[in-house]
Amino acid sequence: MKAGLTTSVVLHAAVLGFGLLSLSAPAPLQVADVEALPVDIVPIEEMTQIQQGDKKAPMAETPAPMPTKRPDIVADAQKVGENDIDTDNPPTPADKPRPVKTAEATAPAPKPVEKPKTEDTPKPPEEPKPVPATEVAPVPAPRQEVKPEPVKEPEPKPEPVRQPEPKPAEKPQETAAAEPVKPDAVAEAIAEEQEKPAEQVAQLPDSAPRPEARPRPAPAETAKAPERKTSEKPVREASSRPQSEDTGSIENQVEALLNKEKSKGGGAKRSNQQAALGGERTTGGSKLSQSEMDALRGQVQRCWNIPAGAMDGGNLRVSVKFKLDPSGALEGSPEIISGGGSSGVERAAAEAARRAVARCSPYTLPAEKYEAWADVIVNFDPSEMF
Amino acid sequence: MENLPLAEPGVQLSVWALFWQAGWVVKLVMIGLLFASIWTWAIIVDKVLGFARMRRSLDRFEQVFWSGQSLDELYRTLSDRKPTGMGSIFVAAMREWKKSFEKGARSPIGLQNRIDKAMDLALTREMERLEGRLGFLATIGSAGPFIGLFGTVIGIMTSFQAIAGSKSTNLAVVAPGIAEALLATAIGLLAAIPAVIAYNKLSSDAGKLAVRMEGFADEFSAILSRQIDEKIPQQRAA
Repeated sequence: MKAGLTTSVVLHAAVLGFGLLSLSAPAPLQVADVEALPVDIVPIEEMTQIQQGDKKAPMAETPAPMPTKRPDIVADAQKVGENDIDTDNPPTPADKPRPVKTAEATAPAPKPVEKPKTEDTPKPPEEPKPVPATEVAPVPAPRQEVKPEPVKEPEPKPEPVRQPEPKPAEKPQETAAAEPVKPDAVAEAIAEEQEKPAEQVAQLPDSAPRPEARPRPAPAETAKAPERKTSEKPVREASSRPQSEDTGSIENQVEALLNKEKSKGGGAKRSNQQAALGGERTTGGSKLSQSEMDALRGQVQRCWNIPAGAMDGGNLRVSVKFKLDPSGALEGSPEIISGGGSSGVERAAAEAARRAVARCSPYTLPAEKYEAWADVIVNFDPSEMF
Repeated sequence: MENLPLAEPGVQLSVWALFWQAGWVVKLVMIGLLFASIWTWAIIVDKVLGFARMRRSLDRFEQVFWSGQSLDELYRTLSDRKPTGMGSIFVAAMREWKKSFEKGARSPIGLQNRIDKAMDLALTREMERLEGRLGFLATIGSAGPFIGLFGTVIGIMTSFQAIAGSKSTNLAVVAPGIAEALLATAIGLLAAIPAVIAYNKLSSDAGKLAVRMEGFADEFSAILSRQIDEKIPQQRAA
């Protein structure tokens, strides 16, 4: 045993001595200096609480909406804009002066008659009368490229009018047919073209021309149809534009009236600051605290008679939405937005919830947070009551 | 507990420094484990040497026993010096044989029983000598880690109390205390692992030696029984 003990002690002494010498302090961990990543904690309020300003403008110290030009005429306006009335709609861009003005111009009839002359003079100077041409002419100025086409097309018509006899056999028929009808027919034709049956009549002849019908001048409709056929496209193009001018068409009248209504939008609040980034309106981001919500819940609950059959009904959940005025009184009638199904019990539960809201009507809520409780949705869940 | 030792950051972290900074409980645990380790290794060395010696003596005895030497002669040479292993079994059996036979045995069965008893006793004594102190290895092997863990827990507790006192959670403040506490577990494992391995090895070796000696005892018992059958009728006849 002595030998063993001595051996052991010597062994341990050797190991410990070696350990003390070699297992000295470990080399400190080499940690490279890493630049700290800046992390900002952004509260949600920065997203929900925005100031009134312009959405597209660059950011500035204080958000401000686009400056308005008109003087302030509406007191206490909320939304910034050039409008006369304060509306919540976003401002709509002003329409481009397209057919709107031509429609308005329908009232002064004589004017368009003169215009065509000046434009037509280069091509058909002989005919002062061409009715379709006059109607085509007043097309608004920006569309000049299109104009020549309809103007040219109607021309052939007037030409044959003058020389019905010398023309070849085929053409005289059409012109002859067209001639007697023309004076009053053009306007009618245009009007009729809108009606689908008329178009069908016009298309039918394409496949089967009817020579017999032509000579007869008596049925004006049949005569008109072929005329459209010969120059179907051009005429339609020509007529489609005149339509808007045509005072006789009810649609056009309505359109004219409608067009007078300028697009509205934007508010009536005026601003004279430099535009800066911001929202459409200032949102306070005020919300009810948990205790305030509980207070409201308690007030509603006090007046709530739980429907008798609701003990076991887990699906008798009712959501009631209602508006409150700043004094806390109910505004309008509460609206059931979910629940209150078809069965009698469910309907009873829904009615009970509605009654509860109405009965407790003047609610005491923090007035400064009116924005947050102006619209309230309360969920009634009978299963939570037991 | 009011003035808790707080390992200042930047102090030496060598093993010796860690030991020196530790609290007295942890120190005590570490010192105890160190002594346990020393004792474990002492036992291991002793047993390994003892088993080797025993194996050698068994080999030599078997060689001499089966060499055809007269049993009386062998008994005379062995009884002079202190016999070990199979020698002691042989001597015990021969002594009983001689005692009974010289005084004139009455029944061969009684003589056989006495001889077996004597051999069993000798064998048990030998085994006791072989397996003695192996139990300590087993104890250290199972309890060593727990003792070390106790030191660690105490050390970490102290360390955390120190952190609470210094009101700083900097890792540099926490680390040395925990490192010194973990040293206790390390020492516990250091003592326990060799102990477990050695215990398993040595106990199986002791088992093998015991089987060898039991085998010899049975064989010698058979030889003696034959001798008794041969000699008692002669004695009666004479």
